[in-house]
Amino acid sequence: MPKIRIEVNGVSRKASVEPTLTLVDFLRDHLGLAGTKKSCDSGNCGACTVILDGKAVNSCLILAVETDGHSVTTIEGLQKKETLHPLQKAFVEHGAIQCGFCSPGMILTAKALLDQNPFPSDDQIREALAGNLCRCTGYSKIIEAVKSVTERTR
Amino acid sequence: MEKHAIIGERIQNVDSPDKATGRAVYGIDFRLPGMLHGKILRSPFAHARILRIDTSRAEKVRGVKAVITAEDTPKIKYGAQINDEYPLAVDKVRYEGDEIAAVAAVDEGAAQEAIEKIAVEYGQLPAVFTPREAMAPGAPAIHDAPHNIVTHIAFERGCVEEGFRKADVILEEVFQSSNVHQAYLEPHVCVAQADASGNITLWGSLQAPARNRETLARILKILQSKIRIVQTTVGGGFGGKATQLISLYPICVFLAIKAGQPVRILNTWEEEFTASRSRMPAEVRMKLGIKKDGTFAAKEIEILANCGAYAGTGPAVVGTTATRATSLYRFPHVKCKADLVYTNLTPIGSYRGYGNPQLHFALESMIDMASEAVGLDPLEVRLKNAIRKGDTSVHGFVMNSCRLRECIEEAAAKSRWKEKRGRRRKEGQGIGMASMIHVSGNRAVYPFFDGSTAYVRIHPHGGVDVVTGEAEIGQGSNTIFAQIAAEALGVPVKEVRVLPLDTDHSPFALGTFASRVTTLGGKAVLLAAEDAKQKLLSFAATKMEVPSESLETKEGRIRIKGSVDPGMEYQEVAKLASHASGGAPLLGVGAFSVPSSVVIPDASRYGNISMAYSFGVQVAEVQVDRKTGKVTILQFFSVHDSGTVINPMLGEGQVEGGVVQGIGYALMEEIVREAGKVLNGNFTDYRIPTIKDVPPIKTIFIEEPDPFGPFGAKGLGEITQVPTAPAVANAIYDAIGIRLKELPMTPERVFKALKGSPRTKIENRGGR
Repeated sequence: MPKIRIEVNGVSRKASVEPTLTLVDFLRDHLGLAGTKKSCDSGNCGACTVILDGKAVNSCLILAVETDGHSVTTIEGLQKKETLHPLQKAFVEHGAIQCGFCSPGMILTAKALLDQNPFPSDDQIREALAGNLCRCTGYSKIIEAVKSVTERTR
Repeated sequence: MEKHAIIGERIQNVDSPDKATGRAVYGIDFRLPGMLHGKILRSPFAHARILRIDTSRAEKVRGVKAVITAEDTPKIKYGAQINDEYPLAVDKVRYEGDEIAAVAAVDEGAAQEAIEKIAVEYGQLPAVFTPREAMAPGAPAIHDAPHNIVTHIAFERGCVEEGFRKADVILEEVFQSSNVHQAYLEPHVCVAQADASGNITLWGSLQAPARNRETLARILKILQSKIRIVQTTVGGGFGGKATQLISLYPICVFLAIKAGQPVRILNTWEEEFTASRSRMPAEVRMKLGIKKDGTFAAKEIEILANCGAYAGTGPAVVGTTATRATSLYRFPHVKCKADLVYTNLTPIGSYRGYGNPQLHFALESMIDMASEAVGLDPLEVRLKNAIRKGDTSVHGFVMNSCRLRECIEEAAAKSRWKEKRGRRRKEGQGIGMASMIHVSGNRAVYPFFDGSTAYVRIHPHGGVDVVTGEAEIGQGSNTIFAQIAAEALGVPVKEVRVLPLDTDHSPFALGTFASRVTTLGGKAVLLAAEDAKQKLLSFAATKMEVPSESLETKEGRIRIKGSVDPGMEYQEVAKLASHASGGAPLLGVGAFSVPSSVVIPDASRYGNISMAYSFGVQVAEVQVDRKTGKVTILQFFSVHDSGTVINPMLGEGQVEGGVVQGIGYALMEEIVREAGKVLNGNFTDYRIPTIKDVPPIKTIFIEEPDPFGPFGAKGLGEITQVPTAPAVANAIYDAIGIRLKELPMTPERVFKALKGSPRTKIENRGGR
C-alpha cells in the first residue's frame, strides 16, 4: 500500500493507504475526523468540502494518495481552543445552521473564499458557495453570516 | 400581547455550536466495535414473481456473516396506515428497488460481492406505471385491491349543482404535479444491535422514533419494551424519515440478530431516489364557479394520485389533498372524488406539506384564472372569500385564530402589489400571490390520540432537563422547548437542556410531522415546566414561610411578588427540596391531549382535524426570459399567521428554507422515470436550488396568540412551501400571459408554452 505524509490541521500524519481510498474516507474512517460529512460521494453536494492547500475541494473526489505532501484543513481544525472561528460563530449567531449537515463544508468553503478575498461581493459569495447544497436554510442566513464576518473584519 | 422575557427572542439554536464545529454525531457518524456493513439486494424488475432465491454462493464469500431473505423473518405485513408490505419481499416484487434479500459482512466490498452472488429466478409480470393504466380493466393486480385502488374518497358538502347554477362564470382545468424528493443531505442510515437476551437497539436518523418502535415491534413480533431506538443527530428529514418505517431498518435488525454482531446500513443516493418515500404526484381536475362580485359559488375536484407499490402514508396524504386547501375560503358547496392508486413505481410518502401543495397549486392558480374571468383583482377575490376567525369551514375546521385577511393585506402592501400587477409584461416581469393553510397537528394520523407528554426535571444543584419524545431534526425544537421551559420556570435558557431522544427514557411521542412539535410538544413542555415550578414554589413557600401564591420565579430566583427581598436562588430551593426527599429531583410532568373538539373526520371528511390552523400568503416577483423560457425569481414575500412566534430567527429559517424547497418544486425538481426506472437519481441530474437560485426573501409574521398553543404558538414548518408553486405560476402568468398547469415549470415547458405549439398538452400521468 502506498505511504503518504499529509498535514492535517497543522499536524503531520503518516499513513499507508489503499490506492482507491478517497480523502473523505481517509479523514473520517482512518483519522476519525467525522466532522467532514459524506453524502452524495460524487462531488455534487459539497458536504465533504475540506481545504486543500488553501482551496476548497470535495474530498470525495480526491484520492488520499494524491494528498501526499499536501496540507488539509477540516472543520476540526478551525476552532482555536475554546474559541470558535469567526465564521463558525457567525453561522451560529445568524441562524445559518439547521440540520447542520452542510455546515462544515459550507463554513470551510466560506473560509477558503475569505482567505483569498476578505471582502467579497454578494455575487462572489454566491459563486463560491454554489457547490455546497443546503436543503434546510434556503441560504439567506448563510449569506448573512458570511457577510457579517467580512463586515466585522472591515 | 403579553410581554415575555424569552419567548419571542432571537435566541441562537442550542445545537448549532456542535454542528458548526463538526462535533455533532449524525447517523452516518455512529459506529460500534465489531460493526458489520449491510447491503440490500433490490429488485431489477418493476413487477415479478420470485420463483427461487439461492443464497448459497453469497454465504461463501469471505467476510460474510449473515445473509437473509424473507424466510429468515416472521413475514408480518406492516405499513404506516395499511399493512401491505414486508421488510423483504415474499413471493413477489412490486417496484424496481423492492427489497429481496440482504447481507452483512465485515466490509462493504464483501457485502457488495455477496449481494451480486445471490441468484434470484424471476417470473416477470406485466407492470403498470400510471393510475389510469393501473385502474383499467384487465390491469395486473399489484395487491388484492379492486382496480388497484388504495384509497377512494368521495364527498359532497352543500350542493354543488345548486352552487354552479348561481355562478356567473364556471372554469374547469386540469393541473399536474410532480414526484419530488425531500433531498435531505443525510441519506437514511442506521446501526442495529441485538443482545443475547433478545433486546434490540437501533440508532438512526429518525423523525418519529416512538412510532418507528411500534412498527418494528410488530414486524419483529416482540414487545416494544424490548426495543430501544436512539435518535442520532438528523441530517434533515422534511417528512422523509417520519412515521413510515422504510425496510432498511427492520432489515438491519434482522441482519444484526442473525449475525450476532452490530450491523450498519447506509443508503446510497441511488437507493434514496429509487427506494425512499418521496412526494405524491397528483392530477387535479378542478371546476370552480364564481359570481360577478368575486364570491366563490362552488368547487368540484377530481384527484387521481399515484401511490406507487405500497400504501405507506399515502391514504392520509391524499386525504389532505382532498380537503385541506378548501378550508382557506368560505366555500358554500364543494364536491370531491379522489383515487389513490397502486402502480409499479417507488411508493410515495410524506414530504413537508403532506399532500397540501398539490391542491394549493390547482386552487390558487384557479382563483387567479377565475378572478380574471370576472374582471377582478385576485387580491380582492382572496380577501372577499377568506376564512375568518370564528368561522367553521365547510370541512368542519374551527378557526379559533385566523389572520388570513391581514396577511393578504400586508403582503399586498409590502410587495406594492397594486402598483406592480399587470404593469410589467413588456419587460417580462410579473407578480403573483397565493394563500396558504395548514394544521398544527393532524388528529387523523394516529388513530388513538393526538397530544404529547414531557418531563421537566430541576436538578438538585441547578440546571433543568426537558425530556420529550418529539424529535429535533434540525428545525430547532430543542431550542424552542428550552425557551418554553426557561420562560415558564423563570430561569436562563442556558441552564435548560433538552435531553437526547432515546425511547428507553423519553416518553412516547408521535414525532415530527404535521407541524405539531412546537404546538403540541411545546404545550406538554409548558405544562411540565409549570408543574415543576409549582413544586418548587410550594417547597420555597415552606422555607420562606409565605403562601406559595405570593411567590414568583424570575431570572433564576424565587421571590415574593412586589417585594424588594432578594428571595432565594432556585438551585438552593431545589437542593433543599431534594435533600428533604431522599435525593429526588423536582419533577414536573406535562401530559397534553388536544381538546375533545379535535376529532378524526367522518366518512364525509367532516371534522375539526387540528387544534390550530396556520395561515399566510406568499408573493413572488419573477422575470421570464422569453428567449430561453427561464424563470428567475426576483423577490419573494412570505407573510404568516402562525400565532405567537417563539423564536423569530428560527421562524425565519423555517420560512426561508420552505420557500426555497417550494421554488425547487415550482421550477426545477422532478424524479424522472422510464418504465419504472429512475433516470436522474443523483444531485447532478435531480437539481435542487443552490445558493445562486435564491431570491431575497422577506418574511413577515402577523402575530395573534392562538388560544390553545403554548404562549399562543401555531405550526410553521410545513406551511412554508405549501403555496410557493402557485405564487410563482401566477407571477409567470402576470409576466407573459401564459398559464402553466404542470409542475415543474422548467425552462423547456415555459419555452414551449411561449411558442404556443402545441398548447400545453396534459398527459395522462396522474403523476409519474
